[in-house]
Amino acid sequence: MMRMTRFELKKIFLKPVNKIVFIILAISLCVVSYFAIGDVDYVDENGEKSTGIAAASALQGKKNEWAGYITDDILRKVLEENEHIINSEEYLSTDMIEKEKAYSKKQGFSDIREMINQAFGGFQDYNYYRADSVTQEEIRSFYDRRTDNLIEWLNSEEQESRYSEQEKQFLISQYGKLETPFYYEYADGWAALLEYAPSIIMLAVLITVFLVSGIFSDEIQLKADSIFFSARLGRDKAIAAKIKAGFIVVTSVYWIMILLYSGIVLAVLGIGGAGCSIQNGFANWKSFYNITYLQDYLLTVLGGYLGNLFILFLSMLASAKTHSKALAVTIPFIILFIPSFLNGISVLSEVLGLLPDQLLQVCTAIKTFNLYQVGTKVVGAVPIIFVMYSILFCILLPVLYQVYRKTEIK
Amino acid sequence: MKLVLDNLTKEFGEFVAVDHVNLTMTNGVYGLLGVNGAGKTTLMRMLCTLLKPTGGDIYCNGKDIFQLDGEYRNLLGYLPQDFGFYPEFSVKDYLFYIAAIKGIRPIVARKRAKELIARVGLTKVENKKLKKLSGGMKRRVGIAQAMLNNPQILILDEPTAGLDPNERIRFRNLISELSEERLVLLSTHIVSDIEYIANEILMMKGGAIVNEGTLDEIISTMPEKVWDCIVPQQSVSALTKRYKVSNIKSENQSVNLRIISAEKPCETAICVHPSLEDVFLYYFGEKVGDENDTF
Ligand SMILES: Nc1ncnc2c1ncn2[C@@H]1O[C@H](COP(=O)(O)OP(=O)(O)OP(=O)(O)O)[C@@H](O)[C@H]1O
Ligand SMILES: [Mg+2]
Repeated sequence: MMRMTRFELKKIFLKPVNKIVFIILAISLCVVSYFAIGDVDYVDENGEKSTGIAAASALQGKKNEWAGYITDDILRKVLEENEHIINSEEYLSTDMIEKEKAYSKKQGFSDIREMINQAFGGFQDYNYYRADSVTQEEIRSFYDRRTDNLIEWLNSEEQESRYSEQEKQFLISQYGKLETPFYYEYADGWAALLEYAPSIIMLAVLITVFLVSGIFSDEIQLKADSIFFSARLGRDKAIAAKIKAGFIVVTSVYWIMILLYSGIVLAVLGIGGAGCSIQNGFANWKSFYNITYLQDYLLTVLGGYLGNLFILFLSMLASAKTHSKALAVTIPFIILFIPSFLNGISVLSEVLGLLPDQLLQVCTAIKTFNLYQVGTKVVGAVPIIFVMYSILFCILLPVLYQVYRKTEIK
Repeated sequence: MKLVLDNLTKEFGEFVAVDHVNLTMTNGVYGLLGVNGAGKTTLMRMLCTLLKPTGGDIYCNGKDIFQLDGEYRNLLGYLPQDFGFYPEFSVKDYLFYIAAIKGIRPIVARKRAKELIARVGLTKVENKKLKKLSGGMKRRVGIAQAMLNNPQILILDEPTAGLDPNERIRFRNLISELSEERLVLLSTHIVSDIEYIANEILMMKGGAIVNEGTLDEIISTMPEKVWDCIVPQQSVSALTKRYKVSNIKSENQSVNLRIISAEKPCETAICVHPSLEDVFLYYFGEKVGDENDTF
């Protein structure tokens, strides 16, 4: 069995076109890592913007001056500091450089300031200057405002019929369960890593499909099928070896890509903030999943792995059934791009929330408000897609085996 | 070893490619002779469990081959008519891989592969990639892979097609050598191949076996006589219209004709001993390819 698997891998790795595939994988890795790293910038006291390892470390220094629990005292201090800056000469100047200098001073508490913007803006509105007009009195309701905004939104005219009473209660209780005050720390490394994780995961699917789509169709295309299927193990163990080879390729390409990407990005931007809750920043303030950055990351990469396995084995099934490599290659593209065309249609939102492309972007799904009734319980999309596609993947393997086993040579 | 084909039938939609074939084969070399489209490949594919019959059964030593599954395929070696390789594999790699899917243990596989590479004369190119081999070399690799598991049943679909005359003779000898102690079924539309290698001839037409027996038996079933006659150029067209002509050879002003007919076709005709080629022509009504595949 191991011997056959080794030969299956050899077939893949010896194919000249696959060298190009590996080069494209390497380029994708570099480009996405570059963008993720560029996501974090630092403005120094002269108003000059920079990115990279030194910038990240400088920013981390600034932000960690505010590290700790965000209590009322801290929030008040942020307001004070903010007020001080917005009344400064630099801030009021029309010169861009001067304005940047003012911003430089705000960087340390910019995350907290953004949370204030969100807390005191509406649920669906965003106003960058909202924090500037929040009073010391108002700030005491900072954490309550998060839930209040939600309730207001749930009861608004447009949303009234969208959720059942039970679902509304679920959301409110999830909000309530989030521990306050937040523990804050510089977590820009994780935020940037997660921001670009879906890109690297999707590229992994789209590129790996070129490696695996031939596993079940090459024999037929090369006319090597008669010999394969007339061999003693050709209709059992040799097929299992193909499945195993597919699994090895998908798994190793995926994890090598992800680990290199994570390693590069975190090495440059820093691993601080892993234990902060994800609501603790600009992007995930509204999420009803109460998890930390590290948990978000783990869910994202594990979801991505499951998504890679499911989509790529589906595409192998297509090539085993139709003997067409071309069709197999298009499957991931269809799965990834069709939902984005349907995205505007709100009635479909619940269905779209369960499609396999969601597995490739768990960190985005975590911000989405799709709820499902499972028995008497209300759950978000993320646990459902994990369970659902694990089961579907387990069904897919024996189906693939049986379909290929029944191949006739015509 | 005993293979029994019982009313074996394969239909593709309305079309009957193999038509109620009843046949019993034991050890020995069987030559399946038929024109293009006779159903030879289809019959062989069923024997290799690559195609499911639409009717009838195949039994190996009394057991249904589709039920025996891997156990039956363990006895089988197959050289397909039109087959491909993994272009990036070397000869050795390829044979090791096929040995693996044949379930041969690595030590045995290495020994067998080495022996067979020498036997088919590929030692010099054993590390060359398959895509760099000539057609004749590929066919040798093909026969080597079929022999890896020392099969009791060897099925060769047109093993000599596309080979040059020298290569064909070498290949024919190789097959003869390898044929001992097993059941070999080989198909061809080249009469001389069959004459040299096969002990038993199966003539296939329109999906059915129309005649079977040894060379002499087949020839003796011929109800008409074969005539050799030398005629002037101008009477050739009249004769070819009236009779089946198995050979035409021009000699100066006159022409030498080989005619199949119950009656004497012309005054000068001499009755000669029929050859397999004549029999083929008689049954199939058309001329088969000769050694050089010219028609
Ligand atoms: N998959 C198929 N679908 C439909 N018809 C088929 C199929 N395979 C074979 N046939 C038909 O069955 C007939 C027998 O084909 P087969 O390949 O068995 O002939 P053959 O004797 O091997 O011919 P050749 O000497 O050309 O190799 C042909 O008429 C062919 O068109
Ligand atoms: Mg054929």
